[in-house]
Amino acid sequence: MMAGKRLNLAGAAVFVAFMAALPLVFDSRYLIGVLTVSAIYGIWAVSWDFMSGLTGRENFGHSLFIGVGAYTAGFLNTLFGVSGWWSLPAAMAVAVVFALVVGLPTLRLKGPYFALAMLSSAVIMQRLMLIFWEKTGGEEGINGIEPLIRSQLGFYYFVLGTLVALTALLLALARSHWGLVLRAIRGDEATCQAAGLNVTFYKIASLVISAACAGAGGAIYAHYQQQVSPQLFAVVTSITIITMVYVGGMASIYGPVGGAILLVLLTELLRNFGEWRLMIYSCTLILILFFLPNGLIAPTWQRIRSRLGRRR
Amino acid sequence: MLEILIHGAVSSAIYAMLAVGFTLIFGVARVLNLAHGSFYALGAYGTYVLTAQLKLPLLPAALLAIAFVAAFGVVIERVFVRPLRRSQLAVLMITLAIALVVEQALFLAFGSEYRNVPAFVDRKFTIGHVDVGGQRLLALGVGFVAIATLWLFIQRTRLGSAILAISQDPVAASYMGIPSDRIFSIVMAISAGLAAAAGILAGPFLTVQPTMWLLPIVKAFAIVVVGGLGSIPGSILAALMLGYAETIVGYLISTSWTEIVSVAATLLMLVVRPAGFFGRRAAF
Amino acid sequence: MSLLEVSGLDKHFGGLYAVRNVSFTLAKGEIVGILGPNGAGKTTLYNLLTGFIAADRGRIVFDGRDLRGLVPHRIARLGISRTFQLCRPFIGMTVLENVIVGALGTAGTNRADLDGRARALLASVGLAGKEQLAVDVLSYGDQRRLEIARALAAQPTLLLLDEPFAGLGSGEIADLATLIRRLHAEQGLTVMLIEHKLREFMRLVQRVIVLDFGEVIAQGTPDEVVRHPAVIEAYVGRGNEALVERPDAA
Repeated sequence: MMAGKRLNLAGAAVFVAFMAALPLVFDSRYLIGVLTVSAIYGIWAVSWDFMSGLTGRENFGHSLFIGVGAYTAGFLNTLFGVSGWWSLPAAMAVAVVFALVVGLPTLRLKGPYFALAMLSSAVIMQRLMLIFWEKTGGEEGINGIEPLIRSQLGFYYFVLGTLVALTALLLALARSHWGLVLRAIRGDEATCQAAGLNVTFYKIASLVISAACAGAGGAIYAHYQQQVSPQLFAVVTSITIITMVYVGGMASIYGPVGGAILLVLLTELLRNFGEWRLMIYSCTLILILFFLPNGLIAPTWQRIRSRLGRRR
Repeated sequence: MLEILIHGAVSSAIYAMLAVGFTLIFGVARVLNLAHGSFYALGAYGTYVLTAQLKLPLLPAALLAIAFVAAFGVVIERVFVRPLRRSQLAVLMITLAIALVVEQALFLAFGSEYRNVPAFVDRKFTIGHVDVGGQRLLALGVGFVAIATLWLFIQRTRLGSAILAISQDPVAASYMGIPSDRIFSIVMAISAGLAAAAGILAGPFLTVQPTMWLLPIVKAFAIVVVGGLGSIPGSILAALMLGYAETIVGYLISTSWTEIVSVAATLLMLVVRPAGFFGRRAAF
Repeated sequence: MSLLEVSGLDKHFGGLYAVRNVSFTLAKGEIVGILGPNGAGKTTLYNLLTGFIAADRGRIVFDGRDLRGLVPHRIARLGISRTFQLCRPFIGMTVLENVIVGALGTAGTNRADLDGRARALLASVGLAGKEQLAVDVLSYGDQRRLEIARALAAQPTLLLLDEPFAGLGSGEIADLATLIRRLHAEQGLTVMLIEHKLREFMRLVQRVIVLDFGEVIAQGTPDEVVRHPAVIEAYVGRGNEALVERPDAA
């Protein structure tokens, strides 16, 4: 078991070093941009996995938290001149509020209904952004948000660092008693209650944590792209993230990081196919659901790890 | 006032056609089919293609489109849904993915501008002091007839009884020799056909574009939650409520707010009474 | 001093009474059995006691506390644990993890060495050495033991067992009965037990409450209850008493 942990740490260190070194080796603004975006998606994917992967309550409206985080940052920055360092916690707070408002009534529902209720909420927020176009900029959204860090490379390292810290934190939580309870909730809620566990609290708390991280990611995104639009709330955003988690390996927490990178890379490679991109995405999801329900990244790492473990 | 009455009825009829199919396939197969909205879209687009590009007359084109969409629904059920039926969430994901694929396909084939689905009836009628498009009245009429027919079908025929049996207890039904798999396909065909018909009827006066599948799903879900999952009378009642609520909101406030009504209704109902009005199976 | 006092408990679904005017008390340290034909309302009674269903009328007082209106996890923390008729282990987790989760709900601030406590519990139910197994590979008898270990992990004062012998062979039943007796003796656990397998059941319990159609039709020692005319009628129908063999042998 100890060897396993050490291998995990080694693997993580290698991965982080690799990701940090890439832009130094290939001096390309384009590459740094792609890596930054994949790191942001990584934050979103990992935060989704923590709640939905562990409890099995798939949230089809993760884009809700991303969007409100991004718009909060956008508003604070453009309307009140608030610097990005303050908009991050503000975005998290707003996302938490939304998580409570939507989560409290919907979390006691069975899986698919919770999923659809979250989806509906995200769709509504998207509509609201369009309805109040005078305040929110409508389809155009909010533009002219200040970047968090001027240097592109600096920004990348900040996001990478945030991703690593977040993943480590959520992984630690998942491996702790907290994670045990979440997995037990996935197994059998009634039995958990009979054992004295306040299931509602755990579900809400994990949704809140997931939302806060997603909101933070949204704020970072806003300060990176320097603009936000209602597209952030779209179903496509939520589904993309879910696909990333499936590719990475549900409930692994670290897998979605790889899933995010893979899919963003795939998107970039398919840029030439322009309009076919989303089609290929959706088909990928269908294929994964049928043939690789356990994902690609996490099972692969586990196999590598056991082979390395055997050699010692 | 009369305007609201009539337009509300038209909206309700369209919504009822969508919701009844949605709740039917759920009641029978425990499947929340997110591609249901795609049937709606494909009905409209199918009719467009058959009339504008293949130059078929409207009625045969419409019927052909409905048949095609029904077949499409059966294929989806057999190929994509059946293998994953053990997990409701997997089914949700795969039908959502299919909906996205269809959206993209429509976008690639037809672009994002609004397309024109011809109306059956071009004239305007005057009821009381209100001008109503003939097409809207037709939608109301057809919707009413379609649902009444379906209701009678379920109550009076053997196949209908089989459907009721499976929705109450799938295992017992199969012990009685009821071929569930074949019934699922039939129900899916009916469900898809109804949705396609709704798309064809509403196409002329609602927008036809690749993303037109999403809002109908949100509303169908709202209706089905409010009315009670698996309950046809519940869906009809809730469709009426939603149709009228939206129309009233549209008149009193503005049409942009109408979608909010459905989601607000969903969330409210889920808080107050998750089983919906007539739901036997609660959503929790 | 009675640990559990139930008086006038009523619950109906639609027009049908599942539980009707049920009253009984449990003293601390008793092993009490609940008997009754299928559909008599036994599991409903458990659901009422543990807060999964709300009673229409009546009082439930446990250790001086009124349980009406409390949610299940609060009741569990007050000291009532239960098992279910069909084993419900947490799938996707190991045996040890199952028991640890069972302990987490009531651990409060005492989180030290949950691992050790869980292992000790598993050992006491005879599952030592199987801690790392996934629950899906356990035999049914072992799943039952796991259920009990998990219920005990919550450190209950009152343990409600729902047909613990179901699905087990006679050897396993004897083992399980011995286990229950031992736990009862060692920890002073108050135990309530729904069962149909009469032979071991009668030897295990000190007192029996018999339910039929939701009502208590008899209470007393195993011997008394078995000869009670209402009980015989409930099981074999009126006029068929002659069919019943007197249970002379112990």
